[in-house]
Amino acid sequence: MQYQYTAEQQEFRDSLRRFVSDHYDYERHRQRLAKGEHFDAGLWQQWAELGVLGLALDEEYGGLGSGLDDMMAVAEELGRGLVPEPVVPVVAAARLLASIASPAQAEALLPSLVGGELRLSLAWEESASRGNPLVVQTRVKDGALYGKKCAVLGAGEAQQWLVSARNEQGELLLLLLAAQPAGLRRYVMADGRAAGDIQFDGVPVDDSAVLCRGDAAERALRQSVSESLLLMAAESLGCIDSLLSVSGEYLVTRKQFGMPLAAFQALQHRFADMFIAGEKLRSLLWAAFQQQGREGFHRAAAQLKVQLAESGRYVGQQAVQLHGGIGMTDELNVGAYFKRLTLMELMAGQRDDHLAGLALAS
Amino acid sequence: MTEDRSLEAFRDEVRAFIRESATEEIREAGRKTTSVFAPFKQAMAWQRILADKGWVAPSWPQEYGGTGWSLEQRYVFAQECNRAQMPPILPQNLQMVGPAILGFGSDAQKEELLPRMLSGEDFWCQGYSEPGAGSDLAALKCRADRDGDDYILNGSKIWTTYAQHANKMFALVRTSSEGKPQQGITFLLLDMGLPGMEVRPILGLDGAPEQCEVFFSDVRVPCANRVGEENEGWTVAKYVLEFERGGSTMGAWLVPAVERLREQCEQVDELGQRRLDDPVLARRLEALEIEALAVEHTEKRVNAGLKHGQNPGPMASLLKILGTEVMQRFSELQLEVTGLRSLVYDPGALEIGAAPSDFSEDELLAMPYYMNTRAASIYAGSNEVQRSLLAKAVMAG
Repeated sequence: MQYQYTAEQQEFRDSLRRFVSDHYDYERHRQRLAKGEHFDAGLWQQWAELGVLGLALDEEYGGLGSGLDDMMAVAEELGRGLVPEPVVPVVAAARLLASIASPAQAEALLPSLVGGELRLSLAWEESASRGNPLVVQTRVKDGALYGKKCAVLGAGEAQQWLVSARNEQGELLLLLLAAQPAGLRRYVMADGRAAGDIQFDGVPVDDSAVLCRGDAAERALRQSVSESLLLMAAESLGCIDSLLSVSGEYLVTRKQFGMPLAAFQALQHRFADMFIAGEKLRSLLWAAFQQQGREGFHRAAAQLKVQLAESGRYVGQQAVQLHGGIGMTDELNVGAYFKRLTLMELMAGQRDDHLAGLALAS
Repeated sequence: MTEDRSLEAFRDEVRAFIRESATEEIREAGRKTTSVFAPFKQAMAWQRILADKGWVAPSWPQEYGGTGWSLEQRYVFAQECNRAQMPPILPQNLQMVGPAILGFGSDAQKEELLPRMLSGEDFWCQGYSEPGAGSDLAALKCRADRDGDDYILNGSKIWTTYAQHANKMFALVRTSSEGKPQQGITFLLLDMGLPGMEVRPILGLDGAPEQCEVFFSDVRVPCANRVGEENEGWTVAKYVLEFERGGSTMGAWLVPAVERLREQCEQVDELGQRRLDDPVLARRLEALEIEALAVEHTEKRVNAGLKHGQNPGPMASLLKILGTEVMQRFSELQLEVTGLRSLVYDPGALEIGAAPSDFSEDELLAMPYYMNTRAASIYAGSNEVQRSLLAKAVMAG
């Protein structure tokens, strides 16, 4: 039973933490976003050189052949650094691609993903999907694609999109398409990351775009989305751990009514509850990790997403509250973590959506 | 019965007035309000219209421009303005500095300042909080030292909402460090832009500069601008808090807001589905409506008590906690209902007169409103401070 990172993973994580704190300190982060710089090609290249982009890919394609736990360690540090580049979505999409591509496609695409030259976005979420990747309204009809994908992280930076759709027989397809500006509505999200909605109004699709279909496509997509939920939870733990550390320090140093805030029992208890909320999420993250490859994996991932919503909201809101007015400003990182947690709560299915799905399935 | 009928007639009169007098721009600003502080220009335009009608300061004494309405009428007025989504009047003039002048101002101050407060010719900002003194106002340090007929101000103020728009400020400053901390505080009025004064806007979580920091470096303010006696500013500030007794109308905002959220959930989306058909969401809306009604009826119950000469006492703390926390829960459910469509950050589209965006107003508003509303449990005496006051008062019996 694995409940923590190995010594080796811990070491890797520490080195990433140094990289992130060197390149993503909060002041620089703020200035970048104020200037509308959501993606830095130079930093992206450095992520590639660190091996992060190929972490989850086989060594024969230049990757490191690591597991989901290594990616969780990375995601924690990305959350801690509020990194706006779409590292996790690209790595997760690459992992999905590797699981469904033919040897020829793998050889053609994966090395350039590892090297950072090719960026891939997985577009699965739709307004009606509510966390269930098998609810797909996007359709292939007479060789053309119709439908709308929402909240696609890194959609504007990607050269290729992996898109889920159904054909006229209702069969699930996973398509690989060249990214195209037409139909892409790019936007900046409330936490400063870039995303996009993609509208397909009859984009031509030929058979060569179909990487996978039917049951195999359903299995691969569900696997990928559940893995992404684990990575989101790890990323949110990075945010939560940072909020606990910033808030703890603030409570000890900030004085009101002649004493440090930490002397007020109501606030001590609040802080303890925030810590508990974080530990619940950490426990369920490892619990879900242990279910990998087993039947209970998707259920555990959905349970984890529910906990992410609860823990993220509680810790985020309370961290702002404990800081008072200063927590409401853009100048302190507290609000930035709160925003990132809020977005993760809303994406890939909300608390009630996953609870409904869990209740239906059991 | 007669009373109810006249109240309904009054409601009709308010509705008709709003319908006839609110411009499209003011309405747009009301819909695009993501905070308790509406867009400045349009909120002031609406204030002007209400002032011309004589309806701008319902809680003021009639001789100074009040309406003479009963508490029930005041509640109806607030309900109708909120139902029509009018921008809320900024509270600084009429609910903060106005009562201070009414209670403690000199005749000259009343004569000069009150009419300009009502019309909005002056806009006042509040200089209370400081970086080291938020809810604990007694800890404030901004100093005013006597120099002949002037005070010399040094220090800074923070969380001065809309200071960048203000031409006047009312401030609590320290004039003595002797005795209890509350005893050395003085209530001062000053012009914005005096030599030695600097305003720095602060960006909030929603990206908007609603708050400001204000710095004073040897700023000279005549002693004649003092309200009340020197070192007795605390008494003036406390009076202001009590002035609005029964003035809490959060429920008058919440109930129609929940109605609007329900309407949003009744709309049929592109797939022919209604959010309201989701039984979990439908239950949560019902629960939220009950909470909003609890706020409304607690406010009305406190008002009814006032008519019989009761003092709101700890109920003021209760109303602050209850109202703000239900408002926050409303903002949470609104955000969940809007879901993925609330992720986009597009502050330009929220500007008044902006060209229509790809996203609807509801979609653009949910996230900034949710973010901004986190402040409700912090401002005006944090809810932790209010809970302590409430517990102390009620436990003592």
